[in-house]
Amino acid sequence: MNIVVLVKQVPDTWSERKLTDADHTLDREAADAVLDEINERAVEEALRIKEAQGGEVTVVSMGPDRATDAIRKALSMGADKAVHVSDEALHGSDAVQTARVLAKAIGTVEGYDLILAGNEATDGRAGAVPAMIAELLGLPQLTQARKVSFDGSTVTVERETEEGLTTVQASLPAVVSVTEKINEPRYPSFKGIMAAKKKPVNTVTVADLGIDAGEVGLAGALTTVLEAAPKPPRTAGERVEDDGTGGTKIAEYLVGQKLI
Amino acid sequence: MKFTLSPEQRQFAASIGDLLSGSDVPGLARRWGAGQPDLATWRRLADLGVTGLAVPERWDGLAAHPVDLVVAFEELGRHAVPGPLVESVAAVPTLLVELGDDALAGRWLPALSAGTTVATLAAPPHLPYALDADLADPVLLVVDGTLSLARTTTALSSVDATRRLFAVDGAGVLASGPAVTAAAGRAFDAGTLACAAQLVGAGQALLERATDYAKQRSQFGRPIGAFQAVKHQLADVLVGLELARPLVYGAAVAVADRSATAGRDCSAAKVAAGRAAYQAARTALQVHGAVGYTQEYDLGLWLTKVRALLSAWGTATTHRARVAAALRDAATTAARR
Repeated sequence: MNIVVLVKQVPDTWSERKLTDADHTLDREAADAVLDEINERAVEEALRIKEAQGGEVTVVSMGPDRATDAIRKALSMGADKAVHVSDEALHGSDAVQTARVLAKAIGTVEGYDLILAGNEATDGRAGAVPAMIAELLGLPQLTQARKVSFDGSTVTVERETEEGLTTVQASLPAVVSVTEKINEPRYPSFKGIMAAKKKPVNTVTVADLGIDAGEVGLAGALTTVLEAAPKPPRTAGERVEDDGTGGTKIAEYLVGQKLI
Repeated sequence: MKFTLSPEQRQFAASIGDLLSGSDVPGLARRWGAGQPDLATWRRLADLGVTGLAVPERWDGLAAHPVDLVVAFEELGRHAVPGPLVESVAAVPTLLVELGDDALAGRWLPALSAGTTVATLAAPPHLPYALDADLADPVLLVVDGTLSLARTTTALSSVDATRRLFAVDGAGVLASGPAVTAAAGRAFDAGTLACAAQLVGAGQALLERATDYAKQRSQFGRPIGAFQAVKHQLADVLVGLELARPLVYGAAVAVADRSATAGRDCSAAKVAAGRAAYQAARTALQVHGAVGYTQEYDLGLWLTKVRALLSAWGTATTHRARVAAALRDAATTAARR
């Protein structure tokens, strides 16, 4: 089975994440950049499917030049090749534009059976791109998967949301987005890291994908960030001194908050 | 000479670091010290390739560069991983490869590379006891140009509870003669180098822990790290580690090149790394105060490890003497020309 995995480089959740003052886009210089953890799980799932059924795993990513580090990590884990869409014109693109570009980039991969993605990235947290790509490619979408299995050309997914657990099926090719419960990703081994050096990464621009540069980027985005402010610091809270009535006071507070 | 690590080496270090960060190594170290060693983490390190670094490809290893080995050992030291790592990953593979006896190499190297067994080694006078000999196969002993299989006699205790040392006796000669002496010399250099890298990593961990603590702990109305005296102490530790690290990497390059100065360079690296790590340990303890030496607090795992590694694989005096002798010999040779 040939699998495309969508990966994204994001600022490390442990570092301070900021937007630039100039255009309210992500300040990429301010934080360490890593392969998004949910994408590691998507890559891991793709590798497990490949190990069970054979085939090829292609990583597709859109991002600036430094996103090669995230792609390299996916290749070190065991993916076979990569397509990297890198273009200045993409700066500030929204979810719809991103989905269009990724759909075109996926189109350069021959004969794929499955597109795997994380359910949402830790930076934007829109969680919309996998569904949009499915729409653009005219493929079924199975999102929020915590378990994926196959029977011939049918993919079955355990879909977990706040509403509960559902089992959904689709015929291949399909788009599947996975949640953090799907698996524990492997760590790249010495062999994997060395092998990744020789794996092909096809770096393309939006023009290469047949997209006009004017269709992407901040100027044409459907959403605009007008203002951004840091989260206010946590307030000190309310302190209850226990003079024998502490329990009552805490209960009153919780009742006041409608918690009990 | 270029000392910048390659992106692959940095990625390998990150991979080991990520694995160990998620493996509760302090818990493992405590169980190890309480006499319940378990090799689950060892096997996971083997999956990353750590145990095959010094093993040639024909024996299912990775034939990695000694700098890669140093990168790995720095990370192992940073996480204070217990077990006969220096012996099993660096010294014994080097010994078996350098000996050039295919029967011996083929007998143990594939399993060592795969991480299914661990090896240990005693080589008096500098390495009088074998670490974790009850877990290891083979337990090797090198004395006066003779390599033997060894059996354990007595369990001993170390200042570092996780270092389970055993006195051993020879029980079957495997090889002897000048080839053993030469191979044991290379193995001692490899072990010394790996130990030095472990010390740098442990020193780095101690510095990071002390720095974090100095930012959290308040006294006289401000974090103690805001006081210049504390800052200076931590800065001195950083300088010491920064100056030791290039000696360790330089020695790895010398070992790779089979340079005539390789032994001397490994010794210099061990002296510098030991001094820097010990300074890091003393400073970290002082910055932490009494909490630093409570058994429940993890800092002690690094403090005792550094103290033990300081005299393992040759004391500072031994290694200084080796450096001095090498310099004297070089001067004599130069004078004769």
